[in-house]
Amino acid sequence: MLAANYKEKQFDLAKVLGNKKLPAIIAMVKSYGWKYLGASIAVGISALGSTAQFFLLQYFIDDYLSARTATVGLLPIALSFVLLTLIRGIGSFFSGKWTVEISEGLTKRLRDFLFDHLQHLPYAYHNETDTGELIQRVTSDVDALRLFLGNNVIDIARTLILFIVNFIAIGLLNWRLAGLSIIAIPVVILVSIFFFKKISKVYEVYQEKEATLSTTLQENLAGVRVVKAFSREEYEIDKFGKNNRDRYTAGLKLNRMHAFFWPVSDIICSIQIVAGFYIGGMMALNGTITIGSYLAYTGMIFWIIFPMRNLGRLIVDMSRGFVSFERVRDILKVAREPLEQGDYMPEQIEGKVAFQNITFSYEDGHHVLEDITFEAKAGHSIALIGSTGSGKTTLVNLLPRFFEYTNGSITLDGVDLNRYPRSFLRKNIGIVEQEPFLFSRSIRDNIRYGVSRDVTEEEMIEAAKAAAIHDVILTFPHGYDTLVGERGVTLSGGQKQRVAIARTLLKNPKILIMDDSTSSVDTETEADIREALNHLMKTRTTFIIAHRIQSIINADLILVLDKQRIVQSGTHEELVQQEGLYREIFNIQTKIEDDLKKEIDSVN
Amino acid sequence: MSTNYFEEEEFTTTFNGQTFLRLVKELKPVWFYLAGILISIGFTSVFDSLFTYLNKLLVDDGILAGDPSQIRLNLIRYGVLALLQAVFVFAFIVLAGIVGEKVQLSLRQRLFSHLQKLSLSYYSVTPVGWIMSRVTSDVNRVANLLTWGVIDVSWGILNIIAATIFMLIINWRMALVVVFSIPILIVVAIKFRTSILKQYRQVRKQNSVITGQYNEMITGVRVIKALGREQGSLQEFRKESLTMYNSSYRAAVLSALFLPTIQLISSFILAGVVYYAGWQFDNLPGGITIGSIQAFMNYVTFMMWPIFDMARIFAEMQLAVASGERIFSLLDSVPAVQDADTAYDPGSIKGDIIFDNVTFWYDDDEEKLPVLKHFSLQVKQGETIALVGPTGGGKTTTVNLLARFYEPKEGEIRINGKNYRDYTLHGIHSRLGIVLQTPHLFSGTIMENIRYGRLDATDDEIIDAAKLAGAHQFISDLPKQYEEEVGEGGNLLSVGQKQLLSLARAILADPEIFIMDEATSSVDTMTEALIQKGMDRLLQSCTSFVIAHRLSTIKSADRILVIEDGQIQEMGTHAELIRKNGKYYQLYTKQFRQEKEAAYNLLTDDVTPVAAD
Repeated sequence: MLAANYKEKQFDLAKVLGNKKLPAIIAMVKSYGWKYLGASIAVGISALGSTAQFFLLQYFIDDYLSARTATVGLLPIALSFVLLTLIRGIGSFFSGKWTVEISEGLTKRLRDFLFDHLQHLPYAYHNETDTGELIQRVTSDVDALRLFLGNNVIDIARTLILFIVNFIAIGLLNWRLAGLSIIAIPVVILVSIFFFKKISKVYEVYQEKEATLSTTLQENLAGVRVVKAFSREEYEIDKFGKNNRDRYTAGLKLNRMHAFFWPVSDIICSIQIVAGFYIGGMMALNGTITIGSYLAYTGMIFWIIFPMRNLGRLIVDMSRGFVSFERVRDILKVAREPLEQGDYMPEQIEGKVAFQNITFSYEDGHHVLEDITFEAKAGHSIALIGSTGSGKTTLVNLLPRFFEYTNGSITLDGVDLNRYPRSFLRKNIGIVEQEPFLFSRSIRDNIRYGVSRDVTEEEMIEAAKAAAIHDVILTFPHGYDTLVGERGVTLSGGQKQRVAIARTLLKNPKILIMDDSTSSVDTETEADIREALNHLMKTRTTFIIAHRIQSIINADLILVLDKQRIVQSGTHEELVQQEGLYREIFNIQTKIEDDLKKEIDSVN
Repeated sequence: MSTNYFEEEEFTTTFNGQTFLRLVKELKPVWFYLAGILISIGFTSVFDSLFTYLNKLLVDDGILAGDPSQIRLNLIRYGVLALLQAVFVFAFIVLAGIVGEKVQLSLRQRLFSHLQKLSLSYYSVTPVGWIMSRVTSDVNRVANLLTWGVIDVSWGILNIIAATIFMLIINWRMALVVVFSIPILIVVAIKFRTSILKQYRQVRKQNSVITGQYNEMITGVRVIKALGREQGSLQEFRKESLTMYNSSYRAAVLSALFLPTIQLISSFILAGVVYYAGWQFDNLPGGITIGSIQAFMNYVTFMMWPIFDMARIFAEMQLAVASGERIFSLLDSVPAVQDADTAYDPGSIKGDIIFDNVTFWYDDDEEKLPVLKHFSLQVKQGETIALVGPTGGGKTTTVNLLARFYEPKEGEIRINGKNYRDYTLHGIHSRLGIVLQTPHLFSGTIMENIRYGRLDATDDEIIDAAKLAGAHQFISDLPKQYEEEVGEGGNLLSVGQKQLLSLARAILADPEIFIMDEATSSVDTMTEALIQKGMDRLLQSCTSFVIAHRLSTIKSADRILVIEDGQIQEMGTHAELIRKNGKYYQLYTKQFRQEKEAAYNLLTDDVTPVAAD
């Protein structure tokens, strides 16, 4: 019974989201309609089971004990209490079970969908969006939604059902009594809403204070060297003490709200109960109702009133749920990148790339590339050189269609780039970044990350060897199974880069984009990386974002970018002959060497 | 220390009585409030049982006896008691709030004060997150146990006792039947609670796995896209989210079973009561009244709730005691660097500094591999020393030892002829100026951050310091100038600006020894020049140690140390070392090229230093 049995229902959440809030929520939970109904019925059964016990009590008192007209014996009556409890238990169990199936099912679907959605959102979106904010939305807000769509909805249903069932039950005893028993209910509800609204405000203040305290603590711990260096321990203790006291005061205030709410609502409920007891008692005394009816009534009245106290909390929680829903919906509204769109997928590509009058600008009109035209032959290496902001990176980002160019055309093997599906392009393009991102899993998994097929151990080791990282990996405690990151080894920049190279080698793309930065690496490893890179560049069309002249001297084509345009292109030999930016750069490099020589000579 | 030590929410499986006693002692300062709580709780739970009894009187003496005055009388009693109870409820909620908050206030403050005493060696092996959890969630949990735990348990116990007494008064035979079945309920309830709690811990663990996956996907989205791994990573995520579904499901279903199970067990007791009462009613005329039967049924039905609550507390107690253990372990940890009993404030730490055959290893290194080996160095008052060399060579350790964040394992460091352990920590630290590689600022205004260097400084003195540090210019350009907020950790400012502020802070402190770890990340040329100016001011007036990354700093030092493998490999002035054509020569030429390339800003956008820490 404890084994969950999750059934997947595929569902495009983005599609169901219209403009109105409520219809959108309903559309989102629609496929769970039957479960909601089932859970509500189960709640009803549970309520009936519990209320029936009061009727059983009435029968026991009136018919069995007092009037002695009972047709059943004592034992069946006693066992009926057990039976009714069982029915009640079954009802409450199934309502609990179905509620969790609704809330967790909805949440799982939402989580999966959001995860997939986020990884399909355009690169530009991720560039602009704060990671912490996104995480907040997919965790806390999703969790608030979980409570809202599952527990809160069912809790409200439960409160209403309990009320209806018990109200009718009292009505069956005596309708006048029923009517007189619910007078205080609007008051209870109003008081409850009033208090919980206030409580939720005070709670926000309290949480703010708590956050401030955490920040102070966190800053103190992070800045422990500064604190010690200035000998500011006392000062820090005072500062923390003040925040600590603020939090204390806020905590007491929050507590006081509760201290008022519970007794106040207790009193209101008690007034209703005492009044009910009095009226009921007098009715029993007059013979309007039987003694058994009175006793049944004294049980039922609690079930009408007390659940109502929670309505305020439920309503405040639900309003929070709505806010979270909006925040999640903001993400869902952003259109995905159509990965499979395109009609041209050859068996193999050659790697010939041509840019024709390419212009690219961001949505805000900010121009990044203008009138870019060049041709890269298959297997050639193309070096891009230029200052920060000249557009190098954007240019190469157009190839895997991370960005869509605004004007002009790019062809791959003579076919328009837009005809290739993005997924196809990315499969055939490898990227080695300056600061490669590795996943916190084993080195083995990281190297194999780029290929979906099964990779043999030999293949993987071969790739690692070619990337000049195999020997390094063997020195790690668990070899290829060593975890990368916090829980395992911390790799240096150069090691990360070589793991990324191995990853790319295994993927074996026809086109390669490489950020050629070896500056963060010790001199010894620089040669290793260079060798690894040369290995990688063989037989591939390679785009190199160059940082040093030395690394582009052998390039088949050098593009010099300045202010969003290509200002010069050609081979190293051609470019040094020309007047222009390239020669300036080259001259500066030479000049630096001259300067250095002079520096050193001056010392000697 | 094993890595397990830092695993969140690790259970101690055995109940630690000593820790529990120590926790109870925390209540000593608030015993007065606690007494108030217990009294209020006592009345509240007795009243709860009385209500049922009054109802019995109303039925038997009022309705059945046909006496309306008895109905009124008992309802007036009922109403008065309800009002009184509301007062007691108010009292115990307020008092519990006070006790809980006071316990938290005091524990937090003590933890924080103790943390200020602990040495850097503690911080280097203890993750910030771990410490944060001790001060926040563990304190919360302990306070919860000491207030609501105490309340629920005493309410539960008193409630059961009061109900038992009333039942005994009404009909002792039947009462005994009920009393003997209570332990069964308690045992089942505790068992249930414990497994539910375990399930929810599983859920929380899985929840952090899910968050981790989101985090990795979002930060690595470019790689996922570039490698076309969307399908694969979704598959992996689905697996985790299914595990999350399953464990949440198990936890919720277990919870859903809990109440019905307890109710079912107590319904057997109820059935017993009904049967026995019916039998008594039939066979012993006058043995039991209808009101009594009703009262009994009520007591049995409501006895479930205190048992429910107590089971929860017992299950959570184990966790709270484990929290207490961790809190006390922090409070009991001894600072590695402390003042000796005879330590004194030297009044000044000007003078020569001598590293005499210093060897040092970090405590968390089980093999005790020395980071500094027989390191000796003599520095004259007022000298500027530049430290260069590869990462992990020992530069940072050298300045950490000098600042007495750590102390030598072998050998000694002498300041002005005396072992620096003879001085108080405060005596040394208050005369140090330190500028870190990644400058650390505190939330607050610029003014407050500079004032950190000297708390009694006037605003004018602060502005002067900012001017000397070259920070005044950029501050004046800010909308609120010195009153501008710097944000959490100073993250509203650029790295260069933060560095200028931390220089101003150090200048204001007017130190006698100055330690600087130059930033490796790039700042624009203007800021760079300003930083240089600010530094010069300090370098002139102090004995200075600079972990240097910039050529200008290195060249202008009185002496350059190339530190590698925990030893001084080369030492001398710039000219001497260049002539030597050794390690320094290599470092220098490489840095020269990179710095110049960056200066021309043609190919690269960041400077990479000689060696980055």
